[in-house]
Amino acid sequence: MPEAKREGRGPAAIPIRAGIGLRAPHAREMIDSRPDIGWVEVHSENYFGEGGQPHHFLERIRADYPLSLHGVGLGLGSAAPLDLDHLRKLARLIRRYDPGLVSEHLCWSATAGRHLNDLLPLPYTEEALAHVCARIDEAQNTLGRRLLIENISSYLQFRHSTIPEWEFLAEVSRRSGCAILLDVNNIYVNAVNHGFDPLAYLAAVPAAAVQEIHLAGFDDSGPCLIDTHGAPVADEVWSLYRETIARLGPYPSLIEWDTDIPSLAVLLAEAAKAAQVLEEAHALAA
Amino acid sequence: MPSLPELQAAFARAVIERDERPLADWIVAGRGADAQARIGVYRNNVFWNYRKTLDEVYPVVLALVGKAFFNRAADTYARRYPSRSGDLSDFGGKFGECLAGWPPAAQLAYLTDIARLEWAVECVFHAADAALLDLHALAAVPQQDLPSLHFGLHPATHIVCSPYPILRIWKVNQPGFSGNQKVLLDEGGDALLVIRRGGSVELERLSPGELALLQALAADLPLAQAHARAREAEPDIDLATFLQRHVPGGTLVAFRNDKGSTT
Repeated sequence: MPEAKREGRGPAAIPIRAGIGLRAPHAREMIDSRPDIGWVEVHSENYFGEGGQPHHFLERIRADYPLSLHGVGLGLGSAAPLDLDHLRKLARLIRRYDPGLVSEHLCWSATAGRHLNDLLPLPYTEEALAHVCARIDEAQNTLGRRLLIENISSYLQFRHSTIPEWEFLAEVSRRSGCAILLDVNNIYVNAVNHGFDPLAYLAAVPAAAVQEIHLAGFDDSGPCLIDTHGAPVADEVWSLYRETIARLGPYPSLIEWDTDIPSLAVLLAEAAKAAQVLEEAHALAA
Repeated sequence: MPSLPELQAAFARAVIERDERPLADWIVAGRGADAQARIGVYRNNVFWNYRKTLDEVYPVVLALVGKAFFNRAADTYARRYPSRSGDLSDFGGKFGECLAGWPPAAQLAYLTDIARLEWAVECVFHAADAALLDLHALAAVPQQDLPSLHFGLHPATHIVCSPYPILRIWKVNQPGFSGNQKVLLDEGGDALLVIRRGGSVELERLSPGELALLQALAADLPLAQAHARAREAEPDIDLATFLQRHVPGGTLVAFRNDKGSTT
C-alpha cells in the first residue's frame, strides 16, 4: 500500500497493531496525552459536519496517528437507492483526512420512505448477494478505492436464506473485490444466537481479503446476545480472537466501545490486551 | 418467499408500527427466542438509538420534562417524522415542530422555542469555519460606498427569538448551575445570537435594533437600508457600536461592495 505522506501529517497506512475507536469524550485527552497506540478509527458520519471543534480535534489526531474511517450509515444492502449525498460527504471526508482504511457494514438500513439507522440483517440469498455486490461496486467506483466490508451481529435469521453467512461474506468479497473487516465479537454473538461453530466461520474467511479486525463487548441480559459495544471484550471473544490470529494471521485490531463509554485508560488497557496477542503472533512468526 | 424490497418494507413496518405480519412468518423460530422477541430486539435498538440521539441534542428539553415524558416524545417523533438520512445528526431538526403539535406538550408553550434554540446550538456547533472579516480591506472602502455595502454572517451563527425568557430557562438547566432556578414565563422574551466562539457555542442577547440589523444584513440588504430598519426597532441604535461588536466579534465575516471590490 503506498504511503500518502503529507507535510505535518503521519503516514496513512494502518499498521498491524492495536487501535481504538475514538469517541468525542476522549478526543481532548488523546491530543494532550498522545498515548502509544497504533492507530485510531472514527465513525465517518460523526464528521459529516462542515467545521467546528470535531474537525479541529480530528485534524490534530490525524497529525499523530494513522486514521481509519468506519461508516455506519450507508446501508449498502438497502433495496432503496444508494444515498448519493451520503456518498458525496464520505468522499469529501476521505479527501480531507487521507485515511488508511475505509469501511462499511454488510447490512441494510433504509427503505424508500424511512431510515432505520441500524445495522439490519440481509437474507442470505442469491438475490441479496447480487444486490449488495452491485452496491459495493457502485460505492467503490464512486469513491475510487477499495472498501472494507464488516460482518454484523444479528438477532434473527430468515427462513428463505440459502447461503451460510460465512459463505455469503466470502462471496461478497470475491465478487465485488472488497476487503473484509472481520468483527470477531459479531462472529461469536451470531454463533451463540444462531447456533453455529465459530471455527467453521473462520475456516471460510479468505485470509488474503481481511484487512482489519474489530473487538467489542456484548450484552447477554436479553433474549439473545446483543452487540452493544458497551462492555469489556468477553473472555470467549478473546479466545476466538487468538484463534483468528493463529489461523488467518495478524491484522490491525480495533477496540470499539460506544455505550457506557469508560475512561480512555480503560479503553487503552483493552487495546493493550489485543496488542499482546499480536506481539505473541509476531514472536511466533519470527 | 419475499423479494428483498418486500422483506425490508415489512421489517420497517414491524419495527416502527408494530405490524409484525408477515415478517414474523419469515423468521426462523427457536433457540430460546421466538420471532416476536427477535423483532423486539431490533425495535428496542432502533428506538433506543433515536432517544439517545435526541437527548444528546436536547438536554434542556429533557431536563424540563423528565426522562419518561421525553422518551414518549422521542418515540412519537421517530414515528411521525421518519429519519431520512444515514447520518443521525440530520435526525432531530423538527423535534420542536413535533412538540408544538403534540397534545401532551400543549401546556408547555415555551418547550418548542427551547427545542428550536437547542437545534440552533447543534447546527452552529457543526457549521463551517470562516475567517474573520478583513479589517484592512473594510477600512479601505471609500466612505461614500459604506451605505451600499452588503455583509455576510458567519456560517456558525443562528438567531433565535421567543416571547419567553429562553436564555434564563437554558442557563438554569445547564449541568452544574447553582443559583435561583425560578424563571417567570412572563418576565420578557429573548432575541439571541447563537454563535460559535473557540469551538464552543455561546448564547448572547441582541437588542431590538441589533436583531433587526443582523436580520436585514442576513437578508442581503445593504448597510444603509439595514440601519434604517434597525432604527424603526430601536431609534437610537448606533451603527459604529454595532459594527464594533459584530465585525471584530466575528458575527459578520464577509462584505461585498456592489460598486467595487469584494472580500
